[in-house]
Amino acid sequence: MAGFKPGAWARRPSRVGVGAALLAAVAVAGVAAGCGADPAPGLIQAVGAENQYANVISQIGGRYVQVTAVVSNPNTDPHSFQASAQVARTLSSAELVVQNGLGYDTFMGEIEAASPNSSRRVIDVRRLLGLPDSTRNPHLWYEPSTMPRVAAAVARDLAAIDPAHRAYFEANASAFTRSLAAWSAAVAGLRADFDGVPVATTEPVADYLLQAAGLDNLTPWTFQAAVMNGVDPSAQDVSRVRALFTGHRVRAFVYNRQVTDSLTQSLLQLARQNGIPVVAVYETMPAGHDYQTWMTAEVNALRVALAEGRSTTSL
Amino acid sequence: MGAVSAIFAAGFFQNGSVHAALLAGAVAALVTGAVGTFTVLRGQSFAGHATGEVAATGGSAAMLGGLNPLWGYLGIAVIVAGAIEALGVQRPRARDLATGLVLGAGLGIAGLLLYLDTTGTSTSGAAVTVLFGSLFAVTRSALPGMVALGGVSLALVVLTYRLQLLTALSPDLAAARGVPVRLVSLAYLLSLAVAVSLAAETVGAVLATALLIGPPATALRLTKRPGLAVLGSGLIGVAAAWAGTVLAYDSYYWPPAGRSWPPSFLIVAVVFGLYLGSGAVQRVRGRRRAPLAPGAVPAATA
Repeated sequence: MAGFKPGAWARRPSRVGVGAALLAAVAVAGVAAGCGADPAPGLIQAVGAENQYANVISQIGGRYVQVTAVVSNPNTDPHSFQASAQVARTLSSAELVVQNGLGYDTFMGEIEAASPNSSRRVIDVRRLLGLPDSTRNPHLWYEPSTMPRVAAAVARDLAAIDPAHRAYFEANASAFTRSLAAWSAAVAGLRADFDGVPVATTEPVADYLLQAAGLDNLTPWTFQAAVMNGVDPSAQDVSRVRALFTGHRVRAFVYNRQVTDSLTQSLLQLARQNGIPVVAVYETMPAGHDYQTWMTAEVNALRVALAEGRSTTSL
Repeated sequence: MGAVSAIFAAGFFQNGSVHAALLAGAVAALVTGAVGTFTVLRGQSFAGHATGEVAATGGSAAMLGGLNPLWGYLGIAVIVAGAIEALGVQRPRARDLATGLVLGAGLGIAGLLLYLDTTGTSTSGAAVTVLFGSLFAVTRSALPGMVALGGVSLALVVLTYRLQLLTALSPDLAAARGVPVRLVSLAYLLSLAVAVSLAAETVGAVLATALLIGPPATALRLTKRPGLAVLGSGLIGVAAAWAGTVLAYDSYYWPPAGRSWPPSFLIVAVVFGLYLGSGAVQRVRGRRRAPLAPGAVPAATA
């Protein structure tokens, strides 16, 4: 975890709009001003667009890399304006960048375009996984096969930047992938015990994980997409989702912990009234976790909900 | 029954979101329609629009504090209305300039607050809700407050109806006859503040103007009698709000399938359609003499 600076730039992802434009403007202004922060000498400068990617870079790069996360839990860092220009400066001198793609962190491409740097290596996870741009669920890090491939790509790029430590980076990448075994086993266990069990969600944050665990998400996609994109779901979809609760047709309600809108609140209340356990999921890595423990905690929370009917509202 | 099911898509009458939308839309449209008639007669459409838009500042601040935006809209609208009265700018050009400046500054602050809403507290879709409304997501707990506020606002204009009318059409004449013009204006501005807050809660702060100006302009094309115009404007507003709600519900089956068109857009489209329709009615009637219409009024108030 050497050199890992969490939460430099708090911004909730996937809410593209006024905020994104403003952010980009502020960030670009920071680059144009050109007052560079002092990077630690001798360390590879790397940026993870979301803190889960920053965490993986940090686990692979270890003591040879200084990693900055752009987006982390919005509730942990209110210094968004000050820090944004700072992150833009870091990005302008970064040698390795990992970003999600799929419109989740469009601002990254904008900042990168504003500060061209031919020696900067950018890993776009969507492209790395060979997914089409039309992929509708951008929460790629919940898919168990994603991070091993990211880790391998990070090790490859770090080795290209710093060939002397190739073996170190490759060993870290292997260790990282091995450390995901506990999570994989937990997912497989969930699938063995609860294959096909129906659940409901607010948005598709953890949908890849739910699929991997064999759970059946009965929430209409149009509802999930509307909530994810910050627009109102249709009245039909809202009543359909409410019926999942009132009709006791789902065994758990998986909601985005980082959203505090009235729709989420009213569905949480409805779930409680109908005795349906709720499971909080996060778009970015919560404090006190690394990627592996975070994912394992999510799966354990799902198991506790399905097996014991207990809710988890915070990791 | 065939006609009913052709107009109202399945589940319309059983849907809780629809019930809330119909009530909120009716209250907001009735009050803005009635109050907006005086806005149009006073020739203050721009000031009315600005009051609604600046209310976005309060709405986004309320969201930041975890409150229903309605209370934010109301707080700011009352302040703006009070400021307009305190400044007492009677000259149209100075008033226009002051309104424009306040509008720009207010929306700027709203931009900052909406940014903080989205980044700081992760209130998803805050910008869309505040600026363009979320009728199907109106919080049920806000409905009693909306009804009560609407009642107060309507009572204010109805109880002072004759004074309002005279002051709107000819403030000089009203003053000469001993009407307390500033007090009457204050009552009007307070009901305007409530009206635009209700409209902002249903169709959004930016689109509040459509409900404030559209139905009165339509009603004033159809009748010369001001009392009838106030009543008709409220009813036209309610009709537009309800028609928009029905269309928004039905739009679930329009392309792109499975998504609803925004109720705000459909309500505003109906308002505009009714205004165009009223023009046709006017022409068919072949009236020679211009009715009591916006175009005829500024000469009296300027």
